[in-house]
Amino acid sequence: MAESLISSDQIYREVQKAIADALQISEQKVEPDSSLIRDLAAESLDFIDINFRLEQRFNVGMPRKYFLEHVEELFGEGTAIDQSGHLTEAAVTIWNARLGSVGPQVHAGMPLDDVPALVTPRTLVMIVEEILATCPAACPACGKAAWAVADGGSITCGGCGAHPPLLTGDDVIRRWLEDFRARGGLVSRAS
Amino acid sequence: MGPCHGRVALITGSSRGLGRVIARKLSNAGADVVLNYRKAGGRSEAQAQALAKELVERGSRAVAIQADISQKDAVSTMFQEIAARYGRLDILVLNAARAPFKTVGELLRRDLLELVENNYLGNVYCMQQALPLMQGRPGHVVFVSSLGSRFALPSYPLGSMKAAMEALVKQWAAELGDRQITVNGVTAGLLKTDSLIVLRQYWPGVERLPATAFVDLEDVASVVLFLCTEASRAIRGQSIVVDNGLTNQLLHPASTG
Repeated sequence: MAESLISSDQIYREVQKAIADALQISEQKVEPDSSLIRDLAAESLDFIDINFRLEQRFNVGMPRKYFLEHVEELFGEGTAIDQSGHLTEAAVTIWNARLGSVGPQVHAGMPLDDVPALVTPRTLVMIVEEILATCPAACPACGKAAWAVADGGSITCGGCGAHPPLLTGDDVIRRWLEDFRARGGLVSRAS
Repeated sequence: MGPCHGRVALITGSSRGLGRVIARKLSNAGADVVLNYRKAGGRSEAQAQALAKELVERGSRAVAIQADISQKDAVSTMFQEIAARYGRLDILVLNAARAPFKTVGELLRRDLLELVENNYLGNVYCMQQALPLMQGRPGHVVFVSSLGSRFALPSYPLGSMKAAMEALVKQWAAELGDRQITVNGVTAGLLKTDSLIVLRQYWPGVERLPATAFVDLEDVASVVLFLCTEASRAIRGQSIVVDNGLTNQLLHPASTG
């Protein structure tokens, strides 16, 4: 695992910069727990812009879909969001299991439309860290365990110059949800 | 005096991107423009208000109105405000769009509703509400479409809504044929706007296509303006491709980069 190749602080600084650049605001305005939507006036297209900047910086694939969308895709539509667009008890259970320690809480009956406002720089740092943590110990191309970080962002192999095969953000979420299901998480709570 | 002098024009979704450029173009042509943005309190509101202020300071009439066009009541309120302020509408540019970017297999019911409500129903609400304000004078409706109506683009279900709207443009143009109202579409090619921010996530390398693959926003807005003037009054129910020639030829020179 090359998790520690790039420190949380370094990732945070890049997240802060990506947000400031995308929203054309000063980096000082961006704080770890700022709501991108409520505090920084970001809109849905801005999220895509911020993700793109982080992808370029860290050579990663940020999630294209929200966590709860993945829940709906994997566990079936209606699991996390009810017909009227509100979070279910199951959504709260699974949210807390994954994100309980990061950022604000959700509650059953909360409108889905309020969820994007929960995204903070801290959330984005967590996502980048999770993706970078999928870096294998040794380079699959040349077998060397010699990962190095170029320009403070992009991981490359010191032996052959290849980039590591990292999971995408969507893959990370899907894998987590599959593990969760295998552990009987949602099923045992719901039944 | 510009070709749109004294005309009142509503451009939906005009806080940024192509809608903003169209609004500026119509204002420069003399129109009193009504800008529209979806959400209060966000960046688009600030951008729409800033553009309205700029146009007013230049001596034009302009106002920005918040309305989520997917909500029938919100559309109704917006048109009441236009009626109260101007008592008429001459030009309606249906530019607002909002969509999930997913493969067809990934679309949840909620995504499908978002697609239809924002990009089909919302436009129909606007068209229906506009009609009483457009009575008895030459008027123009222009729908902003994209190449997604005719070609497959990656993770772009919005294309199906664009196709539906292009069909509706024909229907409505025929229905309004005996009035003085024209209804047409502009099918824009690849634009370097916010849409590129989205596109480059699903189409790796799109930003490295040769410059000629893209069409200038100004060039698209110029055709929209033309369709909003009397010079185009014999064009009915057409969606005109404005793509800098991208889809005119099958073969393009390979990039040397």
